[in-house]
Amino acid sequence: MALLVIGLSHHSSPVATRERFAFSEAAIPGALEALRAAGAAREAVILSTCNRVEIYAASDLPEAAAVAELRRFLFDYHKDKHPPGGEIYARGGRQGLEHLFKVACGLDSMVLGETEILGQLKKAYDIALRHKHTGAVLNRAFQKAFNVAKRVRTETHIQRGSVSVGSVAVELAEKLFSSLGEHPVMIIGAGEAGEKTARALLARGARSIIVSNRSRDRALELARELEGRAVRFEDWAVEFPRIDILISSTAAPHCILDRARLEPLMKARKNRPLLLIDIAVPRDIDPSVSFLENVYLYNIDDLQAIADDYLQQRRVEIARCEAIIAEKAGAMNALDSAVNARLGGLDKASA
Amino acid sequence: MLAVIVYGVSTVYSLFLWRKGFRKDDRVNYGLLLAGIILQTKAMMMRGLTLKECPVHNLYEAMTFVVWTIVAVYLVFGLWPRLRYLGAFAAPVIFGVGVFALMPQLDPSGAGRAPQASNDLVSLHAALTLLSYGAFGLSSVAAVMYLTQEHDLKFHKLRAVFAVMPPIDRLEKITSRLLWAGFALLTAGLALIPFLFKGRTDYHDNSTGKGIWSDPKVIWSAVVWCLYLALLATHGRFAQTGRRFAWGAVAGFAFVVLTFWGVNLLSPTHKF
Repeated sequence: MALLVIGLSHHSSPVATRERFAFSEAAIPGALEALRAAGAAREAVILSTCNRVEIYAASDLPEAAAVAELRRFLFDYHKDKHPPGGEIYARGGRQGLEHLFKVACGLDSMVLGETEILGQLKKAYDIALRHKHTGAVLNRAFQKAFNVAKRVRTETHIQRGSVSVGSVAVELAEKLFSSLGEHPVMIIGAGEAGEKTARALLARGARSIIVSNRSRDRALELARELEGRAVRFEDWAVEFPRIDILISSTAAPHCILDRARLEPLMKARKNRPLLLIDIAVPRDIDPSVSFLENVYLYNIDDLQAIADDYLQQRRVEIARCEAIIAEKAGAMNALDSAVNARLGGLDKASA
Repeated sequence: MLAVIVYGVSTVYSLFLWRKGFRKDDRVNYGLLLAGIILQTKAMMMRGLTLKECPVHNLYEAMTFVVWTIVAVYLVFGLWPRLRYLGAFAAPVIFGVGVFALMPQLDPSGAGRAPQASNDLVSLHAALTLLSYGAFGLSSVAAVMYLTQEHDLKFHKLRAVFAVMPPIDRLEKITSRLLWAGFALLTAGLALIPFLFKGRTDYHDNSTGKGIWSDPKVIWSAVVWCLYLALLATHGRFAQTGRRFAWGAVAGFAFVVLTFWGVNLLSPTHKF
């Protein structure tokens, strides 16, 4: 009995297809019960995230028959009348193991090397374990997968650096300031990009957040969410001497901050270092402000270039990760084959 | 000599770290500087035991002591991983001063000959002032690290993000604290001067009526003291922060290093 995986992911199908086959967390125990009751598998784990829906199973049936049963279960459970063809993939034996390891390591994720998937995989396994839908095959495979993920994280740089604009902004802030909690942040323009960046800063310890937006209601709403305070758009310059980090993402067609305006503000700030993150298009901050001492300006292209470089570095690490995965999957598969051969021999002898 | 060779290896290794962009924590340089200071401490102890005093009585010994101070303070800072790269910036300075100290003319007395004018107070005065130069030296190294990181951040060099370096506000704090420590040591060292010459007439020029206060080394020391006082005062009270402050720390130590030797030659009280 070997590991088998069947499912859809962002690699194989669009979100419109994936959402048709998604399982809610509450429905997973019932679905696992139904799957085993239907005889499709003896052990099973269901992983359902925004980027993938996968069933990991161990079945007494031959591989082809088990795959067919699992596919049938997937369509029947979701009452899908238009079953996709090539969008559903199935992998068994060593390939299945390697796939599980890659998913655990974030190598199969949309954001290469991300770690959220490992938590989701642990949660999916935990649900199946608590409801007693796992056994010797899946327990061993999942424990090994978590172990491989840890080794890959330790020995390679696959998870190094930030690959989103928001987290790059945070990283830059941490290169300027040792403790983000001591450096007030201002957001001008309460758009989605600004909000994401502010949330990333909050997650890394930023405390004092001031929101300024043309729509006062939106500013108040976002300030409440970020546990900060809102100021009127006309008054943002009044608050400026207090802040050390500015995130600007307004929809203004022209620059709202230029050198002539910033110079007196820097004097009022006693020339403390100032990080300006301009994620607006068209830009909100005139590039000439970077000629001022202690002013560090980064626009959306600068942040994206850093994120892309990190991603490139992660890609370079793929080969090292795959070598570790192949080594571990090969060793585990060889051991399983030897055990199965021994058990087969014992069965023949007893017959 | 062996210690300087190890510092030389550390300098070469530092160039390699520069090229690699300081991307991951590196303990090799820390290990090299640790090995160097062990060798140097052994040599200094042997000399000290021979002289039965702290070995700070000629230019060679003075410079060796400054190098020792810089490495020792770095080794404490280097316990924190993000500050370990300070060693890559310090190694060239340490090696440069070390090579200069090895010039034979700087050590005319050799290890076996006791200094002519020495007592406990002189040793304390020399040790305090040389420790202060060590602190100024390391502050200039932290300032160079600040300037590099600041330049990389300002001009969007990827190295700024990828390098395992402390944030620039911490580097500025380190520079400032080292300068304060150096300034305090220098003040204490200079404050001993009146006591060193109390009751002595051999340094008084009767024809001009000038005493020890006209000695070029004493004047130079007062200038250095004023320079650092001005740097620290403008930093604290007039918001001369960031790059200007870092350049001030670098320029201050450059002035000390470049004039130290010449002023010693001019000073009758500091000829060995």
